[in-house]
Amino acid sequence: MSHLDIELQQLKAETIKMWQLVNLQLTKGKESLLKLDKDLAREVILSERRVNAYELKLDRDCENIFALFNPVAVDLRFVLAVLKINNNLERTGDIVEGIAKFVLNVDSNFDTKLLEITRVVEMYAAANNMMECVLEAFDKEDTSLARKVFQQDELLDDINVKANSIIADYIRNHPDNIDATLYLLSIIRKLERVGDQAKNMAEEIIFYIEAKVLKHRSKVDKSKE
Amino acid sequence: MYKIESKNVDFFYGSSQALKNINIAIKPNTVTALIGPSGCGKSTYLRLFNRMNDLIDNTKISGQILIDGDDIYAKGVNVDSLRKKVGMVFQKPNPFPKTIFENVAYGLRVNGISDKKIIEERVETSIKQVVLWDEVKDKLKKSAFELSGGQQQRLCIARALAIQPSIILMDEPTSALDPISTSKVEELIYELKTKYTIVIVTHNMQQAGRVSDTTAFFYMGELIEYDNTKTIFTNPKIERTQNYITGRFG
Amino acid sequence: MDVIDENKLAKSKKRKQAIAFWIFRILSYSVVAILFIILSFIVIKGISVINWNFISQMPEEGMTKGGIYPAIIGTLCLVAGSMLFAFPIGVMAAIYMNEYVKAGLIKKIIKQMTNNLAGIPSIVFGLFGMSLFVNKLGFGDSILAGSLTLGLLALPVVIRTTEESLKAVEDTFRQASLGLGASKWETTRKVVLPIAFPNIITGLILSIGRVSGETAPILFTVAAYFLPKLPTSIFDQAMALPYHLYVISTSGTNIEESRPIAYGTALVLIIIVLIANLLANALRKYFGKKVKMN
Repeated sequence: MSHLDIELQQLKAETIKMWQLVNLQLTKGKESLLKLDKDLAREVILSERRVNAYELKLDRDCENIFALFNPVAVDLRFVLAVLKINNNLERTGDIVEGIAKFVLNVDSNFDTKLLEITRVVEMYAAANNMMECVLEAFDKEDTSLARKVFQQDELLDDINVKANSIIADYIRNHPDNIDATLYLLSIIRKLERVGDQAKNMAEEIIFYIEAKVLKHRSKVDKSKE
Repeated sequence: MYKIESKNVDFFYGSSQALKNINIAIKPNTVTALIGPSGCGKSTYLRLFNRMNDLIDNTKISGQILIDGDDIYAKGVNVDSLRKKVGMVFQKPNPFPKTIFENVAYGLRVNGISDKKIIEERVETSIKQVVLWDEVKDKLKKSAFELSGGQQQRLCIARALAIQPSIILMDEPTSALDPISTSKVEELIYELKTKYTIVIVTHNMQQAGRVSDTTAFFYMGELIEYDNTKTIFTNPKIERTQNYITGRFG
Repeated sequence: MDVIDENKLAKSKKRKQAIAFWIFRILSYSVVAILFIILSFIVIKGISVINWNFISQMPEEGMTKGGIYPAIIGTLCLVAGSMLFAFPIGVMAAIYMNEYVKAGLIKKIIKQMTNNLAGIPSIVFGLFGMSLFVNKLGFGDSILAGSLTLGLLALPVVIRTTEESLKAVEDTFRQASLGLGASKWETTRKVVLPIAFPNIITGLILSIGRVSGETAPILFTVAAYFLPKLPTSIFDQAMALPYHLYVISTSGTNIEESRPIAYGTALVLIIIVLIANLLANALRKYFGKKVKMN
């Protein structure tokens, strides 16, 4: 195996490690939300530093590979993709940290009925699943797995769009619990953005494996191609 | 402990000074690249490590070059045994006018090894080390000139390895090779690092990046910058280095 | 700026080039033509006398009849003798100069001397050979004295061609060998000489061509005017082709009658030189291959 191959393999392994960490953060965030576990939320916030450290390391690794090995073709696309995925992962980490902070700040429990009607739990699970799915696509270099994510994202969009009226209704009926309800709305907004990050990463994977640029295309196009 | 240390080295061809006060310390089992524009002194510097410049008339060196802590320019140093320790590979593949086998055996024979078994063993190991064995094992008795350029160069590396040096000097070892042969030699360098300390002169900046751990940039006989290759190629401290590696001068 | 007519420019360039090449072509063809004329002149005039008897018989009747056998044998002896002397000394001197002596005054002096030696007229070699080998050392007019004199003449040629052959061996071969801990002598013997050998052989054979045609150096040292028997030792006098040619063309008993024999002799001499040159090429190719296989 060539020297560059070894470097690229290490880069991939590091990226996967960071990805797993971010996915773990996401899962812990969900736990803390459902159980309103403030210790777990605190743990998530602390671990965010590790995600940041990973981001810096991957940035530096990519820079070194560019400078020392001048990768071309698929190697070049791979390193470019990792550079952007690295960015997406770090953002995702930030979003989860935000969710954990809401959990930390909220005074009372979320109304279970509210959780149910907003479908936030379902949404969270879907976002989590998307991230796992893209990670697997990255690991196995499987673009069909990556394409699945575009459909899954529709569910997230749907829940997000409907959440507005549901939350508005709920607040009208339960004006005593406005704070927690607004937090929940923010969480839904953030989960929608996790979906966007996952989608971007899927696009990067397809870019690096198939050399196709899927950005700014309609969803139907993306899953067809 | 450093493998090679160069302390305040000046070098003269006649009255013109080719190297000015060069200080470098090279760790064992690393690849050090010497880069710089033509005539910057990098090849001259490389040839100090096995006293190859002794062959040129009217040259003078001052300062110290230590290999394994011993000054190789001290009085009474046995140049032949120094050269056994420091192998060299040249710009153009230059196998001797002998068979493939005899090329690799040559160094052993001139160093007084005559036991047939030992010679055969060492020749085989050396050729295997350069990943050439499968290509030549059936034609060891054929002339080395029948090999392709890339194979010849690997044979020359095997020839250097046969006498078990601990340092290998390479003077632009791939400049006469095609890209595939070049990358084979580069992979080889990367692998040899585990057993040898390698110093390589190269005109090819990307090659320095790919194969070396540390890089020394020479300009007009001076050592401008010496650092980790990563640092040199991502964030050189001196502007002249940056200009050179980005191709803006020289 | 003027508008340049591309077509016109191209045409004028082509025309100039054509003129230049035509001049070169005519000149080089004329060299070949001259050579051809000389050769055919000699062949036409000489071929009629050449037969087996001509090259295997003694000269008879004041060299107007008979063959040139002793002259052929004499020339071959002289060539062999001179090479035996010049080749080892010349090659060793060249090795010493090219591989061992450092640049400096001594090297310059030796070099200048060899060059001067090459420039000395051959008649002077003859005189020198006579006074040293024939008189001082007492060899008398003999094959030995003649060979040594011819050898001296060939020496600078051998030295120079050997030196050029050694210089043509790239330095990295030496460095690679020395870099493996070989001595200078091992390097020279096992690496440099084998690579240079084909060219050295060529130089040697070219100098044979030169030596076999020389008249002046053998004039006072070996050549016999008329000696219808073969030499039996190196202290014997001998006939030689170039001198024989000179004699029968200028001072024979009957110049007119021996004219055909003169052309025949010239033809034999040319054939010997030609064979030497062909041999040089064949040997260079042979050793060139052998060096690589060895």
